[in-house]
Amino acid sequence: MYLDKTIVELHNLLVKKEVTPYELAQEAIENAKNDSNNAFETICEQEALDFAKTLIEPEKDNLFWGIPYVAKDNYSTKGILTTGSSDILKDYVPVFDATVIKKLKEKKAVLIGKTTLDELAMGGSGTTSHKGKTYNPYDKTHTYIIGGSSCGSAASLASGIVPFALGSDTGDSVRKPASYAGLVGFKPTWGRISRYGLFPFAPSLDHVAYFTRSVEDAAIALEILQGHDELDMTSSLKEQCNYFKDLNKDIKGMKIAYIKEIVESVKDKVIIEQFEKTLNILKELGAEVNQVSMDKKLLTAIFGTYYVISCAEATSNNANLDGIKFGLREGNEKTYQEVMFKARTKGFGEFIKRRFIIGSYSLFKENQEELFLRAQKARRKIVNEINKILQNYDLIYLPALGSVRNPFESNVDKLEPNYLIAENHLAIANFAGLPSLTLPIGIDKDFPFGANFLGRAFEEQKVFNVAYALESKLEFKNITAKKVNG
Amino acid sequence: MKEINETLLKECAHNLMFDMKEEEYQTLLNEFHIVQEQLSMIGEIDGLDQEEPMTFPFDCAISYLREDEEKENLTREEALKNAKDVFAGQIKLPKVVG
Repeated sequence: MYLDKTIVELHNLLVKKEVTPYELAQEAIENAKNDSNNAFETICEQEALDFAKTLIEPEKDNLFWGIPYVAKDNYSTKGILTTGSSDILKDYVPVFDATVIKKLKEKKAVLIGKTTLDELAMGGSGTTSHKGKTYNPYDKTHTYIIGGSSCGSAASLASGIVPFALGSDTGDSVRKPASYAGLVGFKPTWGRISRYGLFPFAPSLDHVAYFTRSVEDAAIALEILQGHDELDMTSSLKEQCNYFKDLNKDIKGMKIAYIKEIVESVKDKVIIEQFEKTLNILKELGAEVNQVSMDKKLLTAIFGTYYVISCAEATSNNANLDGIKFGLREGNEKTYQEVMFKARTKGFGEFIKRRFIIGSYSLFKENQEELFLRAQKARRKIVNEINKILQNYDLIYLPALGSVRNPFESNVDKLEPNYLIAENHLAIANFAGLPSLTLPIGIDKDFPFGANFLGRAFEEQKVFNVAYALESKLEFKNITAKKVNG
Repeated sequence: MKEINETLLKECAHNLMFDMKEEEYQTLLNEFHIVQEQLSMIGEIDGLDQEEPMTFPFDCAISYLREDEEKENLTREEALKNAKDVFAGQIKLPKVVG
């Protein structure tokens, strides 16, 4: 068994020819077939084995050579079913690859399968896929969520099926499940990675993001995925960086802030205790760590701001799902309107229909000023406050979520300010387009939990370095459910 | 703001070209007051109306003229591959004019 190792460890074994890409692909496919967490939409058995068979001579300088991986099912994969976990695309087979899929293919990484998500990436619980709930490998009772929307990708890494998984992050869809599943979850600066071929949900907030089980692996992945793409006009022309080569544990003099009001909103004491321990570790490593304050009214408004903007953008971005060019089409319709109406009525799940309606409501002429424009103004104000903090600090460091576990059947008061702050503050990184990384920092009663670093735009290196330094002082590098719970 | 009731929710759904079950409208109506409260928290932010609406994280959109080079595009066959009803190389839909 090899696949509970990191990319770096596997690469060393591949280079020494102790294992072949074909053997790794076989093991990953076997693991995927035995998955008990509903993590997969499709397992690409034949394609993966055929490709792995062609990989004979190891490429020493290419760390992704022969590495098996999975991709969230909202990335276009040429010739491979891509559903977005929605019935409206249940038989859609893209005719082109997303840019990130193409880059991974060029690096000879082996795509093993497509993973489940909250339908069309709109959700945070991992419950609204057309295939039902996705489970957390750390929870054999299937009581607690793994979080979403990148639920299947998170489950694949936490159960040791593969060492790398593509996800996408519009509010916290990678960095939240990373906390529940003991993973490194990373999203870069908006524009750092091309989004061509990623199903758009809310383009002003959408990011390509991913999971690894170590900070080193996260740095390697950004090195190959970064860069401008003429197929995505929002991808940046900024010069590319050597994130892995420049990884450095020396964080002496680095200035780190934590926001008092967000830390105070955390419900579980064990998170606070462990978070405080990590603050001390960061200080021991030579960082200057200080508490800063932020207006609580701004923080409680994060969720509403996110909800209005994302639902409104989603309403127009999903207008192309009409059952005409691709997707579900029933047949025997009398008008083209009926084609669309039937496809969308039958193809969309209840949860995303609600989101579309809320988006549409906020865009009514009478409501635009009150809802949509105000949300956009609130976004500006929140981002300005965060950037003010980042003028004086290199990074902001916070508990990723307010609780270690979150049950499927939750009775939480969704208007309670602490809940609204602790469970939603990760969306700040999407509002501002800033790099953000969740790192596992503790385990409570067999469940892992994480903390999050937020950096300045295009300063991913600092985010990696501080996470790398902290990871080396903790015991949660490359954990899986099996290693923790047996 | 527009008052929320079942008729309005149906109007929204139909504008979006889909329908829901009666009980789903009822669930949404019941939940809408929570959503409205959450949204009303935006209005409590001090000095909000002095801010400019923010539409993207930063102004980094690239605009330039491409060289006039022939590029690989989808073939007709590829473009039609996922359409359910195809006739004479085109997507077929119900007649618009009788």
